[in-house]
Amino acid sequence: MLGPDVPWYLVVSAILFAIGIAGVLLRRSPLIVLLSLEIMLNASNLAFVGFSRLFGELDGQIFALAVMAVAASEVCVGLGLIVAMARRNLALDVDRFTELKG
Amino acid sequence: MAVGGWVCLLAPLVGFLAILLAGTRITRRQAGLVSTASVFVGFAGAVYAFVDALGRDPEDRVELTTAWTWFKAGDFVVELQLLIDPLSIVMMLIVTGIGGLIVAYSNGYMAGEDEERRYFAYMAFFVFAMLMLVQGGNLLLLLVGWGLVGLASYLLIGFYHDRRSAVEAAKKAFVVNAVGDAIMALGFFLLIFHVGSLDYGVVFGAAESGELSDTVVTLVALGLLGGAVAKSAQIPFHTWLPDAMEGPTPVSALIHAATMVTAGVYLICRTHPVFEAAPEVQHLAAILGLVTLLVAGVVALVQWDIKRVIAYSTMSQIGYMFVGAGIGAYGFAMFHLFTHAFFKALLFLTAGLVIHRLDGEQDIRKMGGLRARMPYTHATFLIGTLALVGIPIFAGFWSKDAILAAALADGGALGWTLYVGGLLGALLTAMYSFRLYFIVFHGTSAPEPESEGHDEHAHHGEGSRWMTITVGVLALGATFAGLLQIPGVWEPFDTWLEPVLEPLVTPSTAQEWGTSAIAVTIGVIGIAVAWRAFKAGRELVPDGAVRTTLEHKFWFDELYDAVFSRPAQALAVRLRDNVETPVVQGGLDEVAEGTLDAASLTSRAQSGLLRTYALAITVTVSVLALVFLVVR
Repeated sequence: MLGPDVPWYLVVSAILFAIGIAGVLLRRSPLIVLLSLEIMLNASNLAFVGFSRLFGELDGQIFALAVMAVAASEVCVGLGLIVAMARRNLALDVDRFTELKG
Repeated sequence: MAVGGWVCLLAPLVGFLAILLAGTRITRRQAGLVSTASVFVGFAGAVYAFVDALGRDPEDRVELTTAWTWFKAGDFVVELQLLIDPLSIVMMLIVTGIGGLIVAYSNGYMAGEDEERRYFAYMAFFVFAMLMLVQGGNLLLLLVGWGLVGLASYLLIGFYHDRRSAVEAAKKAFVVNAVGDAIMALGFFLLIFHVGSLDYGVVFGAAESGELSDTVVTLVALGLLGGAVAKSAQIPFHTWLPDAMEGPTPVSALIHAATMVTAGVYLICRTHPVFEAAPEVQHLAAILGLVTLLVAGVVALVQWDIKRVIAYSTMSQIGYMFVGAGIGAYGFAMFHLFTHAFFKALLFLTAGLVIHRLDGEQDIRKMGGLRARMPYTHATFLIGTLALVGIPIFAGFWSKDAILAAALADGGALGWTLYVGGLLGALLTAMYSFRLYFIVFHGTSAPEPESEGHDEHAHHGEGSRWMTITVGVLALGATFAGLLQIPGVWEPFDTWLEPVLEPLVTPSTAQEWGTSAIAVTIGVIGIAVAWRAFKAGRELVPDGAVRTTLEHKFWFDELYDAVFSRPAQALAVRLRDNVETPVVQGGLDEVAEGTLDAASLTSRAQSGLLRTYALAITVTVSVLALVFLVVR
């Protein structure tokens, strides 16, 4: 088998996912939060593909393709929202949007 | 026979549903016609069954027809079946024949009322329910009919639902009847428990073979008697009938005179093997009948409402039927039921003519001298009264005297008590019914009520053709129906019922004619007393303690009020204050408050901060992942 063993892919995936979580939790700009979400999605994609190789089946790869489609749509909506907020001169700070509190 | 039975049962139901579903698409007149037609189709079915049965051998005249199995619970099976036999055919003919005439009469009487469609729908429904009662092939179907006629009676007594007294009378009738139904149902539970069936044949077989213990048979018979007494307005469950006169007059004629209130007599005759296995209960029925006929007779002496006088006379006549059924003269009891249906319906309907003419006036003190203004009504009312008093050749003469003769033939202390009491009742009957007749039709004329343009034609003539023709037919019946049974000459009515209702006593021809002679003499004396009192302008019962007691109907209403109604209300108020408000209502309030508190607590965690939520999710998932790892 070419390249490193499958567990290494999982390690990279875990690191990427942790980075994503850190981004979502720590950054306040919606743009960065969106970016971090993308990183998390791609971390999961990497894990899918890694497992797919490990078990020698294609299911994981197909699922990765589906996740990419979801990620693309999400970016469309998310970016659209951010642009709309910027146009209205709203502060780009997720902590300022607390209308949904109980 | 079976076909006739089903047609008879279902035609009024179809009529009822048709009026109900058509709603305002048909006019009020059409609703009346549909109702009348459906009942007469039922009558045709009954006649067909009758003719069919007549062509068969007497032993072959019983037919049990099953439509389908209604329900099954283990070994207990109830089938939807009709029993067509001579007894039920007699009842079918009475219910649909007299019922059809009364519904036809209503076409005239109810014209111009509001909500006639509802009235006619209820009338058809009542006829269906009553047929269900008399045709039902087992005790459960009988109970179904029993309940449904109670409902129809409730709906029709309360027909004038904007009148408070009518609503209260309807409620009273329903509650008293419900008590009777419950007692009867208890008897049925006992039967299911000990016999495992409610089929007539099985139950009667068990009662006759002595398979049931005496206690059980007595209790079952008491249960049946309880139901019969409540439905037939006998003491102690009689208080609802006089109040039921709040309904429209044709309703009083149909339900509270000719058919429903006689259901108790039918029940005793139908289930006579059970009563014969418990003779004490059967004698109790006769004694209750005697007490009722005397009490109702004396109370009727002081009543001022034309319909109430007739209502008390109904109670009293049903008392005679109970006496007959109680000593085992079933054929005579049924025969009195048959003739009574004619002359009592006639009396009510002619009273309806009077009330209609006088614009709803029912107080006889405001009537008088109507003989000149309403000759036709006068003649028919007189026929009804003569039939009620038992003057030959009118119907009541043949049937009432037969019951008295049977009491004489029964002999013993009970028989003689019933005989003497019954004769005394005949005297009372003559007195109160002729008091009513003289006050209403003789003496000085009461002023004609002011006609205010409403229903103009009602004041001319004596009523529409619908009304006068049906009254005429009933008058013919009240005159000649009794001729079906002439002692010693021919007795087709008894012969017809013989296969189903084997009488326990049969008076000799001499006893019958002797009793008749005494009863007619007593009746004439009663009439003379009433005439003298009327001429002298005094009341039959002088003022004083006796009259007060009678005016309060022996304080039955007051007694029940004090013993049942008021304690029940006091208890209800207590329960409301001490249980309902603090426990039920309070408990619910606390549950609601607790929910609110919990919600406001949890809502504090909902900060609206996106990143807090994300953190919560992350932490939760991490913890769960750890837990899974560790646990595995």
